[in-house]
Amino acid sequence: MDSLLALTVANLRSFVRDRAALFWTIAFPVIFVVLFGTLFGGGGSADFQVGWVDQDGTPASAQLMDAFAHTGLLTLKVTDQAAGLASARDGTYDAVIVVPKGYATAVGAPRGSASTPADALALVLYVDPSHTANAQAIGQIVVGVTTGVNQVLTGQAPVLTVQTQPIQGEATLSGASYYVPSILAMAIMQLGIFAAIPLVQQREKLILKRLGATPLPRSTLVGSNVLVRLVIAAGQTAIILAIGIAVFKVQVTGSWALMAVFVALGALAFTAVGYVIASFARTEEAANGVTQAVQVPMMFLSGVFFPIALMPDWMQGVARLLPLTYLADALRQTMVGGSPYAPLAACFVILAGWLVVCFGISARFFRWQ
Amino acid sequence: MTSTAAGRGAEAAPDADAVVLCHDLRKRYGDLEAVAGVSFTVRRGEVFGLLGPNGAGKTTTIEILEGIRDADGGDLAVLGLDPRRQARQIKARIGVQLQTSSLYPYLTVSELIELFGRFFPRHLPLAELLDALDLNEKRDAQTRTLSGGQQQRLSVALALVNDPELVFLDEPTTGLDPAARRALWDVVRDLRRRGRSVLLTTHYMEEAEALCDRLAIMDHGRILDLGTADELVSRRFHERAVHFEHVAALDDARLAAFAGVDRVAHEGDEVLLYTSDVPATIGAVLAATDALGVQPAGLAVRQASLEDVFLDLTGRALRD
Repeated sequence: MDSLLALTVANLRSFVRDRAALFWTIAFPVIFVVLFGTLFGGGGSADFQVGWVDQDGTPASAQLMDAFAHTGLLTLKVTDQAAGLASARDGTYDAVIVVPKGYATAVGAPRGSASTPADALALVLYVDPSHTANAQAIGQIVVGVTTGVNQVLTGQAPVLTVQTQPIQGEATLSGASYYVPSILAMAIMQLGIFAAIPLVQQREKLILKRLGATPLPRSTLVGSNVLVRLVIAAGQTAIILAIGIAVFKVQVTGSWALMAVFVALGALAFTAVGYVIASFARTEEAANGVTQAVQVPMMFLSGVFFPIALMPDWMQGVARLLPLTYLADALRQTMVGGSPYAPLAACFVILAGWLVVCFGISARFFRWQ
Repeated sequence: MTSTAAGRGAEAAPDADAVVLCHDLRKRYGDLEAVAGVSFTVRRGEVFGLLGPNGAGKTTTIEILEGIRDADGGDLAVLGLDPRRQARQIKARIGVQLQTSSLYPYLTVSELIELFGRFFPRHLPLAELLDALDLNEKRDAQTRTLSGGQQQRLSVALALVNDPELVFLDEPTTGLDPAARRALWDVVRDLRRRGRSVLLTTHYMEEAEALCDRLAIMDHGRILDLGTADELVSRRFHERAVHFEHVAALDDARLAAFAGVDRVAHEGDEVLLYTSDVPATIGAVLAATDALGVQPAGLAVRQASLEDVFLDLTGRALRD
């Protein structure tokens, strides 16, 4: 017990004094939280400032403006083309929509002819392609609205609808409420998987061998490493939660105790994944490569940055297998009451399953020298 | 088991005195027979050396005895215990310095010594170890900032942290400058003074000569010879040579008639008189040159060294 404590303190000291380790486990996720919180923290719907240039000036064009305003996604500012484009260039507007002269005539034309290329009339949408996300989002909205209008005009569909976000449950979460638990899950995943690096380092530098020449049991060594990861996970959770609550007004509506259980279980399961990597990676370089190859795809396929429901089917199939999917889901459920991807009990069983299987694999294949 | 090991041992050492009994130790890595039947005994209170080039099997032998590597075969006892079944008990009572220093880079010297102390039921006070290894100045330095010599001293300090009865030092002075090497020799001598036993490996002859009460010369996984440095030399080289610059007036026939001289040889300008009685031969040389009114320039006595022993045993130099 004494040696377990001493070794844990020594490992924690090493961790805190190693600036690189500290950056990746603490600063990196904090940067993500701040970044995503700031970008998407304003609520579920984006609000774009769009210049509205009506060169037609007819009731029909006014109706079209109503249709756009109705989506609630765009704030339209009536302007002329020159001033509108100037404001777009200086960043005041995210985009400018121009309704060309002849709009009323075109939409008033006999049914069917509007869809023929010769008579079709183009709305002009000015966007800044360097702001890819904004440009795409606004483009989607405009296409959605015009499709609706076209359907009305051609009589193929009676109702004009715009699907704000084609996500079911997550749409109710504000951006920050979605990202804070997700990024906490990502941080715990990285913390655990990166356990492989110091392990391989200590094996390469023969520190493990030197410890093996003392009466210290190996169970104490493993126990200490696990304890270290749990302590750091607790620290990460505290820091990320504090920023989420203080800066982004995330409200913890779920159970603190359940959240703690999942933080601990997640840290254990991913540390076991780290041990599996350390079992097969012989050099530090190899371990670095493998951890990246595992953690980067996992980060993007587990619903941390994009809700899983938005992914193509094959990707959803992959996401269904990944432990991070269930840790992020469980943390969203327990922290902010996010609607479940999987029931909490299923999340628990799947994470525990990863823990047991990875522990078994590393018990069989881990080399001390 | 221990008694049979000693009974069949290569040398007749009294059992009660032995801290290491190693009989017919074998270890194979794939096709390479790293240790091919090694037998020796380390007596309580002596400094025993394994001398040989890299790849001779020294480290494998020592690591098997430390309980951190498994043997393929052989009868072993360390402090009367079996390294295969009682490694934990052995590790509590021995001190180990590995060939490659292996430390936590971000811990300070005193933190590391205290950490290792906690692994043992009993340990020496930090101050005593810092003093003994001359590490007081560096006590608060992180180990990654230490020089090679300081790291080596620290790794010896860690080997002594539990005040061990038996200390294993694997190439303790490799890569050290002469001053640092001599400082470590003093540490080893101090251990012997305090009645501790030491098993060390080295590929430095002068180190083996300076430190070891007895030593074994190893090559290709085998012990080629074993004994005190003097025994090893005199077993092969009975004669020493008196040599000086050749004096024309003294021909070989005359030189061969000098007291004690067995054989006359030439090496460049030098004449070598192999003799079993050095003082008598020197006396004869001085008398003869004096009579001729000349000085025997460069008069000296050449004695065979461990280097010659190694050359004689293996046909090649120890360091090449």
